[in-house]
Amino acid sequence: MANLRVAGLHKSFGSAKVLSDIDLDIADGEFVVLVGPSGCGKSTLLRMIAGLDAPSAGDIFIGGKLVTALAPAERKIAMVFQSYALYPHMNVRKNMTFGLKFTGVAPAERARRVAEAARMLRLEALLDRYPRDLSGGQRQRVAIGRAIVREPAVFLFDEPLSNLDAALRISTRVEIARLHRLLRATIIYVTHDQIEAMTLADRIAVMSQGRIEQAGKPLDLYYAPANLFVAGFIGSPAMNFFPAEVESVAGGEARLSGAAMAPLVLPADGLAKGAKLTVGVRPEHLTLADEEGFAAEGVVELVERLGEASFAYVRRADDKMMVVEVRGRETPEPGRTATFRAPARELHLFDTEGRRIKGAG
Amino acid sequence: MAEPLSQVVASMPRRRFVALMALFLGPAVAVYTLFSIWPLLATMGLATYASDASGGYRFVGFANFISLFGDAVWSKPFWNALTNNLIFFAVHMLVQNPIGVVLAGLLSLPGLKLKGLYRTLIFLPTMLSVVIVGFSWNLILSPLWGVAQGALKAVGLGAWFAPWLGLPSTALVTLALISVWQFVGIPMMLIYAALLNIPDELVDAARVDGLGHLRIFLHIKLPLVLPTIGLVSILTFVGNFNAFDLIYSVKGALAGPNFASDILGTFFYRTFFGNQLQLGNPTMGAAVATAMFFIILAGVCLYLFLVQRRMRRYAF
Amino acid sequence: MLAARARVAAVHAVLIAYCALAIGPILLVVMNSFKARNAIFGAPLAPPSAATFSLIGYEKVFRASHVGVYFANSLIVTLVSMALVLLFGAMAAWALTEYRFRGSTALALYLSIGIMVPIRLGSVAILTMMRSAGLNDTLTALILVYIAQGLPMSIFILSEFIQQIPRDLRDAARCDGVPETRIFFEVIAPLLRPAIATVAVFTIVPIWNDLWFPLILTSSDTTHTITLGVQQFLGQYITDWNSVLAALSMAILPVVAIYVVFSRQLISGLTAGAVK
Repeated sequence: MANLRVAGLHKSFGSAKVLSDIDLDIADGEFVVLVGPSGCGKSTLLRMIAGLDAPSAGDIFIGGKLVTALAPAERKIAMVFQSYALYPHMNVRKNMTFGLKFTGVAPAERARRVAEAARMLRLEALLDRYPRDLSGGQRQRVAIGRAIVREPAVFLFDEPLSNLDAALRISTRVEIARLHRLLRATIIYVTHDQIEAMTLADRIAVMSQGRIEQAGKPLDLYYAPANLFVAGFIGSPAMNFFPAEVESVAGGEARLSGAAMAPLVLPADGLAKGAKLTVGVRPEHLTLADEEGFAAEGVVELVERLGEASFAYVRRADDKMMVVEVRGRETPEPGRTATFRAPARELHLFDTEGRRIKGAG
Repeated sequence: MAEPLSQVVASMPRRRFVALMALFLGPAVAVYTLFSIWPLLATMGLATYASDASGGYRFVGFANFISLFGDAVWSKPFWNALTNNLIFFAVHMLVQNPIGVVLAGLLSLPGLKLKGLYRTLIFLPTMLSVVIVGFSWNLILSPLWGVAQGALKAVGLGAWFAPWLGLPSTALVTLALISVWQFVGIPMMLIYAALLNIPDELVDAARVDGLGHLRIFLHIKLPLVLPTIGLVSILTFVGNFNAFDLIYSVKGALAGPNFASDILGTFFYRTFFGNQLQLGNPTMGAAVATAMFFIILAGVCLYLFLVQRRMRRYAF
Repeated sequence: MLAARARVAAVHAVLIAYCALAIGPILLVVMNSFKARNAIFGAPLAPPSAATFSLIGYEKVFRASHVGVYFANSLIVTLVSMALVLLFGAMAAWALTEYRFRGSTALALYLSIGIMVPIRLGSVAILTMMRSAGLNDTLTALILVYIAQGLPMSIFILSEFIQQIPRDLRDAARCDGVPETRIFFEVIAPLLRPAIATVAVFTIVPIWNDLWFPLILTSSDTTHTITLGVQQFLGQYITDWNSVLAALSMAILPVVAIYVVFSRQLISGLTAGAVK
């Protein structure tokens, strides 16, 4: 296993700039997830690390070695593809050993690695079957097995769970986490699903439009998102945003007012009168109970009951919706007007550019 | 296609359904049966007759076939034509298909510029009439014009030149190569399409596995397009055994020199219509056609049972 | 990186070399058709210059043969055959794909035999039939034969296309009470437009370039197609190089022109229909 470093990576396809100024440092044995909406560049970045596409500028180092100009096979990486990419005309065993043959691994060693990987992934009974005879989950395990036998320095996963059904996705997720602990592997994992990111990652890099918006530990991103994008991306359902303006600053306190919220008083901390900002509150921090700090009133339009937790969709004073998580059996009725509050310490503040002024916690 | 029949259709009164089917299927089935199947059957039937003195036909059973295969007058040219056809086919398999595979492989390389231009140019000869192709090559290879001779001389191979089309020993192979020149576009396009069908991720996986481009082609791409190559082979077989136009255009019905380029198609034509050397013999012609049909049928059945069963079409 | 660039160069070199082989002969013929006789022999590889330029071959072709008639005949036969193959073929493909009844699979198999079995083998009987029907030496005979020839492959191709059409469309039409025939002609048929390119490739070229049936079924000069006309002209004027080259070029150039204009559709039609 090895560490990985990406320095100043840029990529353009013709005149379209797909990746800008990517810098990422991944430690040996770390599980890093690249997450972001479609088109943010995460798969492109992964392909560049794999060596399948070349960057327009910048460098990549694996284990301290400069690999930017090297072919995929020379980088000691292994990749698990979204559609598994198993060779249809070869059985499972052959699929796993095929690449090893061409990198000069002796037959005895190949057999050993396959047996080991098959045991780890419970594939022993399937070794002689062909991909067309396997279920989606089995194919995925074979794809992972093919990566494991290469004994790479870095594992690359490209949205491996996207093609699986919901239940399988959860069990395979657990599988991948287990393998990470077992192999102490350096893993770079691409997904658009922020839940996968939060549960699997040691560190997450949230990407948008070719840039890394923020990289850090999952809970850091949750509690201290660096900007509006990350705040709205991490956490489900998404954070509620309320536009606000600093009405006045006096005695170390700032008074904020906004169309959809009650006036709010916060420590001034560098806030100037007349400054426009956005207040962010997560659905799980809004409550009907009495709280000092934030308050917003609205009409409850719809309540989705999921058992212990429910989500209330509330029409705000500025005609937008806010989402509130309600725990317990008592839920507000649709049609009712209610005031939802949140403690001041759970509030996030963002300036006009979307950057964080204050985080929660 | 295993979905249940629509309720509307299932509840249609039987008479209306039959009328509907007659409307949709009638024209196609009628024309096809009348002008494809029936003539074939009639020809096979005619092959069991022979002309008698009065100009009518009398039933002779398999006599025509016995003459065709055994009687020196007929069997010599027949076996000659059949052998030539097999040589013709062999040249196609050995030259046309490998070239088609290589060209398709080159064209399917990712990121190749001018791909469309190359494809268009290479496919151009296939669009031309065989008459044009045959005659053009006849001129080019003709010692009178000297173009081919000059071209070979320019690369130092002047001594190689011979009036290939005029020599019994080389005429057939030369014609086969001209046919390959014209038709290589078809296997090329079919194999190219099949190669495009291979998902990119599979090639990526092979690159990550450490294979270079040539190995990827040999170990991944080629095995996956084998079904298409099989299809191309059987189409070549049927086409070759149906070939006539090229030989006729270049050599005429006599398929000279000295019947060296005679294949089943020209033999059939000559037998049926006659030429300077013999009268037309419709019943023997029918016999030749019937023999050709069964030869082609044998080839197709061989292909379907042997090759098709082994080769799997991979779904992605 | 250099190895990669050398590889790319090698690939292009091979492709260019083959393209030269593919179009070289054609260019040669066309080029020389515009030259005077002694220039053809004297410097065959040279393009026509002001001194050597000559249209004498073309004049002869127009004078000595009914090139216009041949061309018109080919056009009529090809277009009518194509249209009817599409119509009959689409109807049959639709009936076989949509309405499964007892024997429909057998019928489909029956119709697909024609793909493998060459229709020429029945020529003996076809000629007899045409003679007794009084259709000998008519374009109609050619059209009928070409329709029969083109139906199996086009039914096969059209069936594949029809299977791609979403089922919801016709189910919706049925819910609306649209009669079956109108569903075909007004809902399904317009959606088959992409298939026309594919069917066209497999039908038009073999019909236009066919030598066999015009040779067998037409006898008088006025019913000859361009392919047969050119072949006979060549046979007749075989030593007259100017005329021969001109005739060949006249046969080549329209096809090449149409091909170049429609090449993208043609090739995508071929690849689309062929991946079976």
